[in-house]
Amino acid sequence: MPAVVMEAVTKTYRGRRGRPPQKALDDLDLLVETGGVHGFLGPNGSGKTTSIRVLLGLVSADAGAARLFDRPVPDALPEVIGHVGALVETPLFFPNFSGRRNLQLLAEVAGVARTRVDECLDIVDLRDRAGDRFKGYSLGMKQRLGIAAALLKQPRLLILDEPSNGLDPAGIRDVRELIRRLGRDGHTTVLLSSHLLAEIEQVADSVTILTRGRRVAHGPVREVLAGRSTHDVVIRVPDRESAGAVLQAAGFGLSPFDDVRGPALAVHNVAAPGEVTRLLAQHGQYLEELTPVHADLETAFLAITGEPA
Amino acid sequence: MTASVERPPAQPLQELPPAPRGSLVKAELHRFRARRFIQVLAGLGVLGWAAAIIIGLFTFGTPTETDYAAAQAQVDRIIQENETYRQQCLDDPPSDAPQGVPADEVCGPPLTEADIGGVESFLGKAPFDLAASGTVGAVAFAGLASALAFVVGATWIGAEWSTRSIVALLFWAPRRMRVMGTKFGVLVAGATVFGIAAQVGWLIMAGILDAAVGTDQPLPDDFWGSLLQTQARGVLLVVLAAVLGFGLTSIVRNTGAALGIAFVYVVVIQLILGNAKPSWSPWLLGTNAAGLVMDGGVRLTFWDKVDYSADKLGQPVEYYLGNLQSGIFLTVVAVLLVGLGTVLFARRDMQ
Repeated sequence: MPAVVMEAVTKTYRGRRGRPPQKALDDLDLLVETGGVHGFLGPNGSGKTTSIRVLLGLVSADAGAARLFDRPVPDALPEVIGHVGALVETPLFFPNFSGRRNLQLLAEVAGVARTRVDECLDIVDLRDRAGDRFKGYSLGMKQRLGIAAALLKQPRLLILDEPSNGLDPAGIRDVRELIRRLGRDGHTTVLLSSHLLAEIEQVADSVTILTRGRRVAHGPVREVLAGRSTHDVVIRVPDRESAGAVLQAAGFGLSPFDDVRGPALAVHNVAAPGEVTRLLAQHGQYLEELTPVHADLETAFLAITGEPA
Repeated sequence: MTASVERPPAQPLQELPPAPRGSLVKAELHRFRARRFIQVLAGLGVLGWAAAIIIGLFTFGTPTETDYAAAQAQVDRIIQENETYRQQCLDDPPSDAPQGVPADEVCGPPLTEADIGGVESFLGKAPFDLAASGTVGAVAFAGLASALAFVVGATWIGAEWSTRSIVALLFWAPRRMRVMGTKFGVLVAGATVFGIAAQVGWLIMAGILDAAVGTDQPLPDDFWGSLLQTQARGVLLVVLAAVLGFGLTSIVRNTGAALGIAFVYVVVIQLILGNAKPSWSPWLLGTNAAGLVMDGGVRLTFWDKVDYSADKLGQPVEYYLGNLQSGIFLTVVAVLLVGLGTVLFARRDMQ
């Protein structure tokens, strides 16, 4: 049973103050299987947050269907909301209440034991400051409290929208570890929306990429990357100029560059790296290094969405 | 680098036990009690109440027999002097008196003690008169408490919108009507307690003043019945004011805007329009607030409308605004505002 399904969901926001209507979702499909971490990627304004709001019943779709754990939302949302924890954009809490009191209020609503509040504060390393007022928290602390709130229900589905916003490097690492751990626990499915592509790449098992409200790629991260292979290799040779002349004569595109390890040569559109080795050897040029250039998620993302690098 | 992880098979979704009954109510009550604004308001209210008692103790006094005798002598002298002038007037009516008007009417009736405020008005420090002040104080406390209740009602839901915590709450309790209904119910309960506390505060204050610096005059037979009825209507006014603040803020989703609208309403519509077009007063909230809480309602005079019927030729129209009529009017307005706010909340996209 998938954790999340969206089928042909469309949403257009009414134009206000003379602005034209804005199509936020355009026949969007989304499938998140149960378990693991699913990355949700897209440029700003691509519809990620609107999609999450539709799933949580905060925004009504104009057309299409959405389901959480096979229950239609928003109609059956009360049946499944106990399984869903969410942090959507900025954490929303009462500024004059302490972090602990804010969590206690939420715990009371769902009938969650008070001991769970301190457990969640421990998880996000906020217990020492739990008695401080929320408005005195740094952005990173606010974000961590938001994650703690999302974890209160021990959710089967954890929806995190930009959870690393405002966190320092150590905080980002901690959140990444937490997400990774939750994704492996066999209990939790994490839907992670983030603009930090490297983060998604490091923790996500599968990914959906959307742009202008439409899904443009989806599947396991490896498959999405494989479909965007660069067919480039980087070589290092004792005589870069001579080697470059040989390869150029054979029709390869070249990009010489220097890095900390010295001069190198990027060779483009190499169908078989062995061809490069053979050509150079025939001309007395022997390789010191040949490294295929793997596509990273960022490259794939930019290529798919058409965003400038 | 892409992470590759081995995961145990996912567990099937199980039904969660429902949240304990009343958990949302409990959480909202918790928040209502914990709100700093309400705590500060309650603290200031108690301080103001204590200050009013102290001021009352210094304002009123316990005159001696000698004080009463001196005041009575002053009253008698004024009445005697006035009677002397009146007799002179009757014996020799003013030359500019209208033709055909009897001298009795030109010179007026004899002055009485009541006309000049009674002997208490001539005491240095008059005693506290519970019989005269009982319902007046209840009305004043109801008015003050209503103004505060309006602000409490507006900020109760307005704080949710300004922090957008109401959106976060929907992650936990997605039935919007239930969320709104619970907040409304908690506010009504809180406003009721607040209104009762205000009236109990007045009773205690009046009791202290009566015991310390009160008159020895017995209370009228219907005093307690009349006072308690006024106080009950005062509590109702406090609740309605809180509901009006809640409903208005639910519509505009901003406490400042709601309070601004209320201010403009009071200054522009209630005061200016109420004076310019008195015949519209029965449709104004302030007039109906007075009509609800005042003992016996209020009698309005429409200076902008003249009664041309045979027996009241040329007289302005008089209109009686009773307690029940005012209560119904205010309730209808409150229900309309809350109803509209609730419908909008149920249908709006939460962004």
